[in-house]
Amino acid sequence: MNTAPPQRAGVAGSADAVAPPVRAADWYRRKRTREAMLVACFLLPSLMIFFLYRILPLGWNVILSFEYWSPLKAARFAGLDNYAEMFLEDDVFWQALTNTLIFILASPIAILLALAVALAVNSDLKGAAIYRTIIFLSYPLMSVAVGIVWRWLYDERGGFINFVLRGTGLIKEPIPFLQSFGWALPSVILADIWQVVGFYMIILLTGLQSIPQHLYEAARIDGAPASARFLRITLPMLRPSLFICAVIGILNSFTAFDLVYVMTGGGPAHATELLVTHIYNMGFGETRFDYAAALTVVQFTLLVILTFLANRAVGGNAGSVESA
Amino acid sequence: MRRRSHILRHLVMALVCALMLIPFYWVAKTAVTNENIYAYPPRILPLKPHLYNFVDVWYLIPFARYFANSVIVSLIAVAGNIVFNAAAGYALTKNFAGKRIVVLLFLSCMLIPFQATIIPAYLVSARLGVLNSYLGLALPLLSTIVCIFVFKAAFEAIPASLQQAARIDGLGELRILFRIMLPLAKPAIATNIILSFIWSWNAFLWPLIITRDVTMQTLPLGLARFLAYVEDTTGALYAFVCMVLLPGIIVFLMAQKEFIRGLTSGATKG
Repeated sequence: MNTAPPQRAGVAGSADAVAPPVRAADWYRRKRTREAMLVACFLLPSLMIFFLYRILPLGWNVILSFEYWSPLKAARFAGLDNYAEMFLEDDVFWQALTNTLIFILASPIAILLALAVALAVNSDLKGAAIYRTIIFLSYPLMSVAVGIVWRWLYDERGGFINFVLRGTGLIKEPIPFLQSFGWALPSVILADIWQVVGFYMIILLTGLQSIPQHLYEAARIDGAPASARFLRITLPMLRPSLFICAVIGILNSFTAFDLVYVMTGGGPAHATELLVTHIYNMGFGETRFDYAAALTVVQFTLLVILTFLANRAVGGNAGSVESA
Repeated sequence: MRRRSHILRHLVMALVCALMLIPFYWVAKTAVTNENIYAYPPRILPLKPHLYNFVDVWYLIPFARYFANSVIVSLIAVAGNIVFNAAAGYALTKNFAGKRIVVLLFLSCMLIPFQATIIPAYLVSARLGVLNSYLGLALPLLSTIVCIFVFKAAFEAIPASLQQAARIDGLGELRILFRIMLPLAKPAIATNIILSFIWSWNAFLWPLIITRDVTMQTLPLGLARFLAYVEDTTGALYAFVCMVLLPGIIVFLMAQKEFIRGLTSGATKG
């Protein structure tokens, strides 16, 4: 019904078309313009916000990235200078790019964990709702606070992790996780996984619950073992949910800003610098808006490419959002 | 045999839950600890639990100010979300030229993370003259695409005859929306409130960029500021963390179902 073209909607769908035929066309035209006005007014506030804070910035980033520009200075065309600097001279950019990719590539680990938990919680287990709540609890919390919590867990002296590792005799000397070049990034990633794993679990649970039970019954009657049921039914049917998890994992490399900012500030020696923290430092630390915009364009391109690849990996059109 | 597998699964889940809860415990413990928090080995149970650290927070930082700012910004964001998303969702239940384009536009906006817009978003806010103001803090959060679709789905589930009856009775569209449709879409409103509240309550990067004065800063900023100020040296920091986390946890536990429904409908339906 929604797909009917608006021109015909008035005439075709009218049970109340008892008005005189000559006036009817006129009446419907007026009604249509009134409805169009109304729709426009209702959509306007939301559209304005998304235009100002999503679409316009996207274009503005691209323009800025080809300019020399800073507040109080007139813009000059820079060609590819910003990009040349980024790729040829900016070592921090390469470090941040590598770290961002590592961050994204770690998300499958979290997704697998979440899948295991979702499978365990999905069954007829008693108390499953409580487990679900506890595991999801960390997701809606303030990342800044979560970052401080994890800073404390990693602490050399008062931290829980060093306490356990030393207490069980696994290590002799405490490890300064967040201050060491090698440990800092994995440590931040672990904290991030802790926060986001519940979200993956919820997405996968929704996916699991949408798989028709009769598929499993049929497989059981045919004598398919549990492993085959999982590989042939569960996994293929979960592809859309897995794709969404992958997208969340990719977007997460943006949203992890809060955690990184609080836990390490990008250090030590840029060991935990992500593209998003580099963008922030360039833009608001050094007021190089043009260069930060170029960095943003690169990261956004990366995001689009990775999302496309993830879509291909799960067999295309998994993210057919159109059907919404 | 089935029973044994259940016991095994309970054990595994209990372990997972313990891992998820330990960070909370460790911070709560530190917040009420009296002795030197750096003593090794750290105590698992605090020796003499007390609440001095929480009192300290009140003296060391303008907690009430941060809290009030957070509440004001969140209230603006929640109010904006309900009105704007409901209006947009209602408009999307109608047929109009260019509807497909609008829907496509919304869906593609969802793929643009806010963090990827910070530089121009800052410049836009500067042009609008809303830097360092409550409105500026809330403006990008005033409408949420996920929630628009939540409203659209809720309105579509309401029988069309109700709308027609109201129209025959001479109600205008605005009244139909607010008097007929919204009261019948309470779950969608709840989802909107909880999602927009949590997102604005937790927002950090945006306030970090556009606030200049302490008087405009929200709780996450206050927390980061306090951290930079005291480093990890005092239990008051962890008391502050507890005071910030607690409202979030309470709100989440109260409206868990709505929150999860909002997230999953956004994730699965676009």
